[in-house]
Amino acid sequence: MIAVDSLRRLYGDVVAVEDVSFRAGEGMVFGLLGPNGAGKSTVINCISGLLKPSSGHVSVAGFDLQREPRKARSALGVVPQELALYEDLPAVENLRYWGAAYGLKGTELKTRVEEVLGYIGLGDRAKDLPKTFSGGMKRRLNFGCGIVHRPRVLLLDEPTVGVDPQSRERLFAMVEEQRDAGACVLYTTHYMEEAERLCNQLVIIDHGRVLAAGTVAGLRAKLGERDTLLLTGDFPDGAASRAVERLVGNGLRDLEIIATAGDSLKLTLSDGSRHLAAVFEALAAVGARVDESNLRRPNLETLFLKLTGKELRA
Amino acid sequence: MSFILSAAAKDLRRWWRDPMVLLVWLGIPLLIGGLITSLMSGGGSGVRPTGVLLVVDQDDSLVSRAVTGMFGQGELAEMITLKAVSIEDGRTQMDAGDASALLVIPAGFGEAWLREQPATLTLRTNPAQKILPQIITEGLELLLDAGFYAQRAFGEEIKVIADWRETGREAEAGRIDAIVAAVRDRLESVKAYLLPPAVTVELVETGQEADKVSLALLFLPGIVLMAVMFTASGLASDIWEEREQGTLRRLSSSPQDIVKFLLGKTLAATLVLFCITGITLVLGFALHGMAWSRLAPALAWTVLSGAGLFLWFAAVQMLAPTRRAAGLISSIIVFPLLMAGGSFFPLAALPDWIAAFGRLTPNGFVAEQLTSEITSAAGWAITPASWGLILLIGIAGLGVAATQLSRGFAQR
Repeated sequence: MIAVDSLRRLYGDVVAVEDVSFRAGEGMVFGLLGPNGAGKSTVINCISGLLKPSSGHVSVAGFDLQREPRKARSALGVVPQELALYEDLPAVENLRYWGAAYGLKGTELKTRVEEVLGYIGLGDRAKDLPKTFSGGMKRRLNFGCGIVHRPRVLLLDEPTVGVDPQSRERLFAMVEEQRDAGACVLYTTHYMEEAERLCNQLVIIDHGRVLAAGTVAGLRAKLGERDTLLLTGDFPDGAASRAVERLVGNGLRDLEIIATAGDSLKLTLSDGSRHLAAVFEALAAVGARVDESNLRRPNLETLFLKLTGKELRA
Repeated sequence: MSFILSAAAKDLRRWWRDPMVLLVWLGIPLLIGGLITSLMSGGGSGVRPTGVLLVVDQDDSLVSRAVTGMFGQGELAEMITLKAVSIEDGRTQMDAGDASALLVIPAGFGEAWLREQPATLTLRTNPAQKILPQIITEGLELLLDAGFYAQRAFGEEIKVIADWRETGREAEAGRIDAIVAAVRDRLESVKAYLLPPAVTVELVETGQEADKVSLALLFLPGIVLMAVMFTASGLASDIWEEREQGTLRRLSSSPQDIVKFLLGKTLAATLVLFCITGITLVLGFALHGMAWSRLAPALAWTVLSGAGLFLWFAAVQMLAPTRRAAGLISSIIVFPLLMAGGSFFPLAALPDWIAAFGRLTPNGFVAEQLTSEITSAAGWAITPASWGLILLIGIAGLGVAATQLSRGFAQR
């Protein structure tokens, strides 16, 4: 449904996006992950036709965006990061206008607007002005305006920014419903947990370049990172080292101490949950006491850290 | 077409939610127009000033009564009340400011006039009043002039009559006949000039309403254009509202043609302009008693011009880097144009070189054509060339505004 090939976009001499390629099919949520300024919005803008690529090709629903822009745009639904609503027009009129902008008319338009109002949970506020809505309600209306014409391809640009947890859950559910209805959803975010929860596939970009691409599970596997075990308690001098030597001798070959202090110990190891009991036994045997433990599994956050050397939300 | 109507309906609904702005656009020109009309038409109720002329007639002759009698004739009688007083009372009342003037006719005045000898009339006026003392003074001067010319024309006859009065002799019948005949002959000789007057004024009707064109009426097109300019520039700023709300960006990613969006907005603006200029023109027509048959062409012309101005204002505002700058640019353009284009002073009342410049401004051109429409003898007086020109200007405005939108204003 979305095909991006060797996309390049320059702003003057500044390269915003360089050699970005990916394919997103129907019935899936495709994530575009990266920190602020990574080039996500530039990619989205090139797909939605707001920006012309300096080179490369973009096609939407089989229509080349340069040669058949109208057909390509007809298949698109866009939910921009910043609200794009008429604050002084009732919710129902907003939906009606955007439906008309995508060619709906008459009974079809009326029926669809009513459907969407119910779907986004604003049926009882249809005649109210968006300026009287909460942030979450506005986000839902913003989403509704993007899907009123039943788009085959839906572009969601950071749709949960500034949204309360309840509205965020509602938005997630709506995204999943669009996916299940067969739409291709391109979802940009800098929240790892959103990408991990929603996306079937994703690309990680930074400085306009693709750093990694694939399924969430595949990317985790590619990461190859060990779990991190954080322990607090009482660790006498040399006790942690003796315990690790014993465990390595017993077969836990990739166990390492990252940091140690009198009351805390940070270890890395593969498949940490399976070896927790052995670690506790070895520490007890050398006179250490564990009061609290925290095992962290490898995630996209750590993958991003590994790929770029910086925090995603930095 | 469907989307053009949707876009127009959307804007009308939005603008309708802010009626105060529409009222201001309508109210300011109406207020200014109302003030100007009041000033130009005098603004009074038509009540004439009235006052008292105190008369001390110490002569009490036929001639002195003729003098005071003049103030009891025609329109003067409606303004001036004569009051016979003694000299003391007259002075007292004048000192108290109770009268407009005090006229003292001395004893022997009538005799002196009959014999063409010097005599003095004393007129004391009230300095606290302006109009009535002036009227009384000029009336008296006029009367004295008339007396002078009567002496020139009938001096001999007047002298004979005076002699009869002095000697007390009975007039001879033949002598009286001779005087009457002489007076009649002299009147006959000047009759051709006096009855009727040698100079006649011929009234030429150039049109049904031509004699009703007043300065206040000449202000009407400028006032209407003021409402049009305020409305057009104000509505054009909505393009920035759309941009700041992100709706222009969203529209740019839709399959809709940006020209249709602009046409929808222009249609909505045209309907608002129709209402605002319609109200202004109807009030103007009613106030000046103009023929209602001119309303349709005047309204059509103004609304079409307003739509063109709206598109150009939109195009100009899109050149600005920020909304605030756009508003500033609009103001910088609107007020000088209103000044030069005859909204504050009609072009007909301005010096020629300023009027010539004013006619070159868009609103000046429109106002000039509107003036010709509402003051001409026949309706639909604006030439087809002018209609074509304003249509072309509007289309050019649409082209420029659409180019501005698609060149990045909408996508930013």
